[in-house]
Amino acid sequence: MKPRYLIGLVLIIVIAALSFMMLDESSIEYADLDRAARLGKTVQVVGTWVKEDGSSYDAASNLFSFRMKDEQGKQIDVVLEGAKPNNFEIATSIVVKGRIEGSTLKASNVLTKCPSKYEGQASDLKAS
Amino acid sequence: MIGQITIHVLFATALMSTLLYFLSIKAGDTYARVARGLFGLLTLGLLGAATGLIILILQHRFEYTYVQSYSSTELPLHLLIATMYSGQEGSFLLWTLLVAVIGVGLQPYARRHGYESQAMAFYGLILCFLTLLLVAKNPFAYVWETYARDGVAEGFVPQAGRGLNPLLHNGWITIHPPILFSGFAAMSVSFVFAMAGLLKREYHRWIDVALPWTLFATAVLGFGIMLGGFWAYETLGWGGFWGWDPVENSSLIPWLVSVALVHTMLVQKRTRGLVKTNVILAVAAFVMVLYSTFLTRSGILGDTSVHSFVDPGKFAFWILLLFMSTFTILGIVLVMRRRVDMNVNREEFSPRTREFMLSIGAAIVMASAVLVTIGTSWPVIMEVLGRPKVAIAIDFYNKVHIILLPAMLLVNGLSLLVQWRATTVSSFKRGLVRALVISLVATALSVLLGARDFVSILLAFGAWFSLVINGQIVLALYRRAPSTLGAYVSHAGIALLVFGIITTANYSETHHAQLVQGVPSKVGDYTLTFEGKEQVEKEFADREKFEYAIRIVGNDTDKVVKPVLYWSDFNRRQSAFLEPGIRWGLMNDLYVAPKAYDTEDVEHRTTVRRDTTYRVPIDSAVALRFVGFTMPMTETPAPDGRMRMSARLDVTVGGEQLDSTLRVPTRLTQGAEGMSFEQEWTLIPGTTIEVGLVDIKRNNADPTKSTGDLVFRDTSKPAPVARDIFTVEFAVKPLISLVWFGVITMVLGFVVSIVRYGRGKQRPPVGVAQDTPLAGTEVSAKAEASDTDAQQS
Repeated sequence: MKPRYLIGLVLIIVIAALSFMMLDESSIEYADLDRAARLGKTVQVVGTWVKEDGSSYDAASNLFSFRMKDEQGKQIDVVLEGAKPNNFEIATSIVVKGRIEGSTLKASNVLTKCPSKYEGQASDLKAS
Repeated sequence: MIGQITIHVLFATALMSTLLYFLSIKAGDTYARVARGLFGLLTLGLLGAATGLIILILQHRFEYTYVQSYSSTELPLHLLIATMYSGQEGSFLLWTLLVAVIGVGLQPYARRHGYESQAMAFYGLILCFLTLLLVAKNPFAYVWETYARDGVAEGFVPQAGRGLNPLLHNGWITIHPPILFSGFAAMSVSFVFAMAGLLKREYHRWIDVALPWTLFATAVLGFGIMLGGFWAYETLGWGGFWGWDPVENSSLIPWLVSVALVHTMLVQKRTRGLVKTNVILAVAAFVMVLYSTFLTRSGILGDTSVHSFVDPGKFAFWILLLFMSTFTILGIVLVMRRRVDMNVNREEFSPRTREFMLSIGAAIVMASAVLVTIGTSWPVIMEVLGRPKVAIAIDFYNKVHIILLPAMLLVNGLSLLVQWRATTVSSFKRGLVRALVISLVATALSVLLGARDFVSILLAFGAWFSLVINGQIVLALYRRAPSTLGAYVSHAGIALLVFGIITTANYSETHHAQLVQGVPSKVGDYTLTFEGKEQVEKEFADREKFEYAIRIVGNDTDKVVKPVLYWSDFNRRQSAFLEPGIRWGLMNDLYVAPKAYDTEDVEHRTTVRRDTTYRVPIDSAVALRFVGFTMPMTETPAPDGRMRMSARLDVTVGGEQLDSTLRVPTRLTQGAEGMSFEQEWTLIPGTTIEVGLVDIKRNNADPTKSTGDLVFRDTSKPAPVARDIFTVEFAVKPLISLVWFGVITMVLGFVVSIVRYGRGKQRPPVGVAQDTPLAGTEVSAKAEASDTDAQQS
């Protein structure tokens, strides 16, 4: 094997290893609240908003807080850095990205999943 | 009915044309003539279908699901036309139409170069899949067909359309999607020429034929991507122009592959090397278009993006998958069958040559493409592998490009210091030292001007290095040979873009501010005043849209910007639609992104839980302890007949607890949206403060956890007037203009190159034609200047 190929091969392996490490570092696992508490790092939690407990946005601190329930039914208070996410109220489920600190889930992002987003439904049709 | 039949006929026409083109490869022109005619018919048919759809939209024919789903009677003309491609079915129709229209231009071109049958056969095959997708996602379906399961009766005509998403209500929707789709459509051309080249065993000539088209596709797609970023920044208020979102990545990936392809094609054109690399990259670029379409259109990435994904249904999902795998397999099979044959020119590039540097550059660009692809696909890969679902944080892309981007810039600079075939050490050293000195001085200046962190300095050095070298060549050549400037202009544009990325990503200042109407607030180095609001777009019944005038004063600026915040029936008023207000500037943009709109809380609303002590907000000497509610049946009804409930509070004034528990009653009204409460102001004994109970949140499972909302007022003072509060994020974005200016410069460079290579003046490859002196073998300054004419990177 020619030395140039060898150098190339080594370079490719180094780059591949580095990028895999970065990928691993940057990947954010989907977890339920129990696992999120155990891991103690940033994860994504799929669940629903506990509507009965309401939600509030504090404009002064720019924090949006609400209570969520994960797919196992466990509940936690969520504090999101930022305003109320789009479509929060009509979302059928939410994906909260954040980490558990003490008794609250400190969220950096909340994605909302809507029933076929912006898609028409038969119930929207009105006769002429 | 006629619309749906048309789509089916178009699919059949595409099939026939493709089949005949394939047959004509062996059988000759008789078949090709018919295929050509069918292709023309197909294009006319698609034009007719698109026009027909637009007419149905303009006539508000709501019995068509597509018209009903995406348009309404209030929309102005340009948005009604844009509705044609605002939904999934329509966007597939637009893509198909653009592929066909480009095909009409491609066909005579391919014929002139003797590639018609082969190229158009593959091109037709692409159209077969696209028209099949239209059969599955037919834009002409009736509501009673779409909603058959919901029992919508045949012949039913809905009264109104659902309307276009208010986010899309602006001029960008009329240009961004058509340009982006033109780029996607043009990306198929290099692929079909590569396939044709393989079939004909012409491994070099297809490069000359395909190069102008590849440049065209890259330019158009790049421009389209930038328009998307500009749209996000200017209208959608996402704060930036790029967020590594799957939808953004999915147009970036094919673009990156295409950029790599442009460079390796040039290497082959000059040296006859990289034969296999080029066919493989041409296949990859097109397959990545299909893969990206699959990722973003199949609903597979559902919850990882801010863009809305519509699940297209099973049938369309499998067509998309089949579309992608067919062309991947076709490409691989053809390349494999010709692989031995393609070993026509195996030689090694010596490191001090332009071909070597361009290959390294293309490899780095491909590394970027591969890593972005892996990052975007990672959630899907993990799911397929049965591992726990993950998402990729955007810092992955940033980290990767902190390494790749400076490498690209340095290699670009180096590639211009060396020459094709061979470079003498002395001329290389001379150029390198000069460029290094200038860029180091410039980088030092950037540090003096404020660049602080290592990443910014590294990127700035790379950008200066590339800019200095490209700039020198542009200056040396723009009089003598302006037609050859394309590449240098493009690379200078990229360097400018990188400067814009450094300053906006690392040196933007963001502040959070609550602006009370009429009260100037100091935010960063500026004073912001919320001066009032004004309603706009009154013709739309679904919304009350307000512009909020914000005056920005400071640093020689005095300007009113008008961010927008409104609620619309489109999403049942569940969340606000936002548009930023921007003070545009060469040196910096002042960016006001609305966050919330509220009236001042003059009543000091406080939520109380049982057995917890609260200080009264307007008088800290008074404390309350909430001990519970009384039930309606134990209370006497109010004089107006309404039921009452009370909050029971233990009150402490100046540290002394009052003897009796204070009862604060409220009147109950049962409405359609639940119980509402009207407070009865109750004086706290020994003070001038009154308290009211305005809301009760019952916890039926555990009544001791029910909470109440109290409000307070001081009867000794005049009642304060509630003012409006506008909450914003205020950002100073230095030199963001370089981002747009850089990309536009880059696209202009492409245009120059397209003209140059499209004119068909072909230079014999260096070192092949013996009568041409080998470029780079001369060392004199004069020769170097004349050689730059032949330089291309």
